[in-house]
Amino acid sequence: MNFYLFIDLVVAGLVTGGIYAVVALGLNLQYGLMRIMNIAHGEFLMLGAYFTYTLVKVTGMSPLWFIPPMMVALFLLGLLLHRLIFRRLAATSPSIEAMESRSLIVGFGLMFIAQNAAQLTWGGGMSGQPYLDEAIKFGEVTVAANRLLVLVVVAAASLALVLVLKKTLLGKAVRGMLQAPLGAMLVGIDTRKLHPACFGLGLALAGLAGGLLSMVYELTPAMGEPYTISALIVITLGGLGNIPGAIAGAVLLGLVETFGMYYTSPSLKILISYGVLVGVLLLRPKGLFTK
Amino acid sequence: MKQGAFVFVAALLLAALPVLDSPFVQSMALTCLMYAGLAVSWSMFSGPTRYLSLATSAFFGLGAYCTAWGLAKLPWPVVIMAGGLAAMLFAFLIGLVVLKLRGAYFAVITYGLGELVKHSITHVEKTYAGTVGRVMTETPSSNVVYWTVLIIALLAVFTYVHFGRSRYGHALRGIGMDEERAATLGVNPMRVKLIGFCLSAWFAGALGAAMAVRWTYIDPNTVFNPFIVFQTVLISMVGGPLTVAGPLVGALVFSLLSEFLRLSLPYLYMILLGVLLIVSVLYLPAGIAGHDWRAMWARVRRKRFGKELRDE
Repeated sequence: MNFYLFIDLVVAGLVTGGIYAVVALGLNLQYGLMRIMNIAHGEFLMLGAYFTYTLVKVTGMSPLWFIPPMMVALFLLGLLLHRLIFRRLAATSPSIEAMESRSLIVGFGLMFIAQNAAQLTWGGGMSGQPYLDEAIKFGEVTVAANRLLVLVVVAAASLALVLVLKKTLLGKAVRGMLQAPLGAMLVGIDTRKLHPACFGLGLALAGLAGGLLSMVYELTPAMGEPYTISALIVITLGGLGNIPGAIAGAVLLGLVETFGMYYTSPSLKILISYGVLVGVLLLRPKGLFTK
Repeated sequence: MKQGAFVFVAALLLAALPVLDSPFVQSMALTCLMYAGLAVSWSMFSGPTRYLSLATSAFFGLGAYCTAWGLAKLPWPVVIMAGGLAAMLFAFLIGLVVLKLRGAYFAVITYGLGELVKHSITHVEKTYAGTVGRVMTETPSSNVVYWTVLIIALLAVFTYVHFGRSRYGHALRGIGMDEERAATLGVNPMRVKLIGFCLSAWFAGALGAAMAVRWTYIDPNTVFNPFIVFQTVLISMVGGPLTVAGPLVGALVFSLLSEFLRLSLPYLYMILLGVLLIVSVLYLPAGIAGHDWRAMWARVRRKRFGKELRDE
């Protein structure tokens, strides 16, 4: 293989992996903290992408202006959904397993609602809106500017989240809840406030990924689904509640997919993802990085 | 006994339906029976064990593809049996490993395996057959299809009741309540789960094999459609998977609903399904048939009565 092609593939894999990382971090918080198996997680990515797209189309300004307010809106939507649905679900579920499977069904319900509402609002036709699609040259290697931007933003977001979790008191509280839910309550961590906030944060992160994707790819109401599956694979790879593990797993999956597609064919992308998921679940159900 | 007589009369009436010679009514009844069969067979395993299986689409699609491959060469009953057996074999093979997983992981992996089968078949057909879809020729008459589906659905109801009463049914319920305890009490969980999973797969596969000829042209996206499993789970959950009446009531309600809404307002229908799914999970965890309506009514009355007292 030619060296420049190799670099191209690595960059493409990193971009995909970075998006997966941001999506998976949100789902990891939701599942790790509250046992919410939110199968509709990718749908919030789709909503984020459509919101950004619509605002850009109406105002003609750069999408970067709209990503922060859209994330705030999705955060608030997350608080609302948690208040309306998941709080009651957690209160009435007899066991963790019941909570997982009931939240999974709720997730399918949310998925139906979000996808079809998007279909009604924006129609099924693909809509794309390339932003910053000129190429940047680094010597012999050329990279599209928007992909580079996506890579920088997702890397910054993941790093920021890891730092918040590692360095701040708030992060310590979240890590405490991840490790010992009951113990966290006993030492005075207010789960009733932090759970909705983390759920909302998950949605906001999915929205960030969606907003970034709207600069690169075309949009469809079903665009979120593959990202949900990828996020599930990443969580399984990295281990439940393991934030650095999830980031490593995301980058790994992005690279495996990109190289796998190059050596086989692009139509096999989904087959590769599901193959990795099934393989990991069967061989290492606790994640790659556990001892 | 009264229930048995009721089912017998209902079956006779349904079997006589083609006399009406109304294609519209018959096609609606066919959809209803298909979902009734799927939901009853799903509840057979997933109801008592609470293992949320999302593999129904895969079983259904495998059955349908058996028909696509075998219809021209084999007699109709053999095709149906083969469809069921193919699904059963698939259930056995994946069951050996996936039945070790619990909770959401089980649901996600059964869904993932279904998608894996769908994409594999698409890829194989594209590469070796050169086409994605298959056209069915020499299909049996619509009455034959209707009676076949009716028989499979009745068989599912019969099996549900008798399997539930057998020692395996009790063992499955024991596993649903507490798997470790059931194992301590002498149940072999893996064996019992495998039997239940394979049994429920046979019906989904046979229904897929029978329904395939209705489309005349099938491709992986139609017969492995995840919508099939979603609707099945929804019907069972809303109806109540722990009684055989639950999935039947659910199937009736949803086929009527889909007949009137799906064609005119397809997206709104799906949104409504989503809302119903969430509401039923939140407020009717045991389903329409399993819900304690009397206790709820008493609670409502007490509330109103209490209010009137305070007003005075």
